[in-house]
Amino acid sequence: MAQRLKPVDVVTVGVGLTGSLTALELAKTGLKVVGIERGAPRYTVPDFQSPAIHDELRFSIRKGMMQDNVKEAVTFRNTSDQTALPIRRWASFLPGTGLGGSFVHWNGQSFRFQVADFIYKTHIEQRYGKKFLEACGPELTIQDWGVTYAELEPHYDRFEYLCGVSGKAGNINGQIQPGGNPFEAPRTREYPTPPMKEPYFGALFRKGATDLGYHPYPQPSANLSQPYINPEGLTLQQCVFCGFCERYACEHYAKASPQTIILPVLLKNPNYELRTNCQVLQVNLDSTGKKATGVTYVDAAGSEYEQPADLVLITAFPLNNVRMLLLSGIGKPYDPKTGEGVVGRNYTYQTVGGPTVFMDESINVNPFMASGANGTMIDDFGGDNFDHSQLGFIGGQYVGAIMTNGRPIEFHPTPPGTPKWGLGWKQAVARHYNHTVLIQQHGTSTASRLNYLDLDPTYKDAWGQPLLRMTFDFPDNDIRMSQYIADKVVEIGRAMGGKTVVRGGTKRPYSTTVYQSTHNCGGALMGDDPKTSVVNRYLQCWDAPNVFVIGGSAFPQNGSYNYSVTIGALTYWALDAIKNKYLKAPGPLVQA
Amino acid sequence: MTARRCFLRAAMAVVTISFGVVGPAHAQGTPRQPDVQHGAVIAAQGTAAGAPACAQCHAFNGGSDGSGAFPRIAGQSTSYLTQQMSDFISGVRTNAIMSPIAKALSPEDIADVAAYYAGINAPFPPLARASAALIQRGEQLAKVGSAAKNVQACDNCHGPGGIGIPPAIPYLAGQYAQYIAFELKMWQRGYRRNSPEVMFMIATKLDDQDIAALAAYYQQVPASDQTTASK
Repeated sequence: MAQRLKPVDVVTVGVGLTGSLTALELAKTGLKVVGIERGAPRYTVPDFQSPAIHDELRFSIRKGMMQDNVKEAVTFRNTSDQTALPIRRWASFLPGTGLGGSFVHWNGQSFRFQVADFIYKTHIEQRYGKKFLEACGPELTIQDWGVTYAELEPHYDRFEYLCGVSGKAGNINGQIQPGGNPFEAPRTREYPTPPMKEPYFGALFRKGATDLGYHPYPQPSANLSQPYINPEGLTLQQCVFCGFCERYACEHYAKASPQTIILPVLLKNPNYELRTNCQVLQVNLDSTGKKATGVTYVDAAGSEYEQPADLVLITAFPLNNVRMLLLSGIGKPYDPKTGEGVVGRNYTYQTVGGPTVFMDESINVNPFMASGANGTMIDDFGGDNFDHSQLGFIGGQYVGAIMTNGRPIEFHPTPPGTPKWGLGWKQAVARHYNHTVLIQQHGTSTASRLNYLDLDPTYKDAWGQPLLRMTFDFPDNDIRMSQYIADKVVEIGRAMGGKTVVRGGTKRPYSTTVYQSTHNCGGALMGDDPKTSVVNRYLQCWDAPNVFVIGGSAFPQNGSYNYSVTIGALTYWALDAIKNKYLKAPGPLVQA
Repeated sequence: MTARRCFLRAAMAVVTISFGVVGPAHAQGTPRQPDVQHGAVIAAQGTAAGAPACAQCHAFNGGSDGSGAFPRIAGQSTSYLTQQMSDFISGVRTNAIMSPIAKALSPEDIADVAAYYAGINAPFPPLARASAALIQRGEQLAKVGSAAKNVQACDNCHGPGGIGIPPAIPYLAGQYAQYIAFELKMWQRGYRRNSPEVMFMIATKLDDQDIAALAAYYQQVPASDQTTASK
């Protein structure tokens, strides 16, 4: 029997980026907030210091910062006629756990989405016609977000200034800025800090891309180019290019993470209480099933508690947000046979994978002097930045030389024909280690009625609850898109001086055994219509107005870019509505 | 650990080479190789242009005189030593003794004498130990940092036990406590400005006790390593 605790105003399920950001804003208004985090507490000092934090075997190979999939896995299958099996070793995507969540082990790649991304269906139909979209794939289920870029712009701005993002603006209030990305959505002011220094591989890419008439720019980075004091009064330091960002925590206070930009202020707020090593089992509903009464969780000792709260914010990793809704019975689960129901619908991912460019031995790339978001990029093939009318697909990818590390266990590029092991392999690694440039293609994932999340009928977690089941494969549309861009990027590799360019591009079937991206999206979509979305434009549940589901789970489909900054902007957008609308008159902010 | 260190060393060696190969200054012909013998002559005798012998203060083996007024430079990387000399010349690092000496040396002299001292493995002189409590406090700061002050571990950049990560990052292990403390204060007071983004930020967060503790800890690292090894 669960022990019932003293009621509080707000409870957050998860204390990562969205959980700490919402808690700080609401605790400042005087509300009592409890943050429940399933993982351990951890801080820059003492937990993230070297040499322990640079343990590649522990963190990169054994995934030391990720959700414990002995206790809690995700089951996977490509299509609904297959039987899903649990992923017992993370590879394709890496959901984090512990205080700060996945925003601790991210690379710091800090993009905004574009104007058209938020009105995707409307935009595509207006530009190319409804028949064009149908021809791209009758299974595609793209939709608008219910919020526009213009509405999100101030929240993007606020979040970038919280992080101190280093970059060069490409478009300030519609004026194209030299040196920036001319395809960038209009911003109201420059980035908080100047762009990172361009590494040699970036300069090579810049030259190749410029020669072909493209528009290179420095990737915006949340590993900072210079010290910065954020609006909460917290100081970030300058990145030292150690090359241990993604899968690691930053030991230098140089990467924006809850630990560096939010938590030191939040944890001092007397209205906030953090509970770590506590696993939330479900959001509890009252007898009407339309109102949450709080959450039930189990602590590290195995004791069960009920934490009553007036407002429940589901702020876990996107996949776990969806699972929490399904476990709690909030919203109607999606049924792929009828197309009815919403929870789990439009699960999308990211199309990644670019060419490897093998250079001459006189070109020394020095990949170990690296930072997680220090690429040189082009957006000429991003989103809908190019004319698709003759191409037979929608969507696009950004392209860039982004080399985040030269770590010894993970990075050993070898050209085709190299033996897989033995002396020949070793010689090839020694020959190519310092003379290889990786180019990234990174782009849209189009929603399909065939791809969704639900509860697994067979496999359960350590607490006896069903695992989340993922049914996913890339739609043909996305394969055509990726393969079209792959040809263009090979040309860039050659223009950079590549001796051998191994073509990239996404192929089917989608495999969970190779790292691609941790940008798992959708399943708890935002939108204007309760028939096709789980939450309204303010991320409030249609079916339980005192529950908000915040994070990448709200994306109706995924854009070209890394999603963290858009999640930050959406969080501020939702908070604005919670503070200025919901708290004044609790109830549905949009009438269904 | 050893394998990783070897890897880093090898990787860093590649950096040094790469500057020679791709740097525009050396686009034509091979770069000049430093003349270590000439460096040794400068160390012992100074130059005809008026620079005094380095050995007067730093000793011919780079171990300096043990007073702590002058840093140990034996085995410090060529790149780091050269950079400090050019910083003395440009004024981003100022010192009443070293600034005029650096200006009296030609770029070739500096390269030669830096290469000479970089190549020496000098013994560590026996020195008085600070209190165990002070050393322990320094070790904590060096290896873990301070959560209260938002200061990360020094070893993140300066290597385990402060052994240095050449070519860019100098060793602190066995460096004289008095010198380490003096330099941290030079950062704080703005006399040393050749790492405004990193070392200035960190130095300004440390108080006098922190500085004394760090200095005491790093000075005794080689001695304590030998003690451990002999057990």
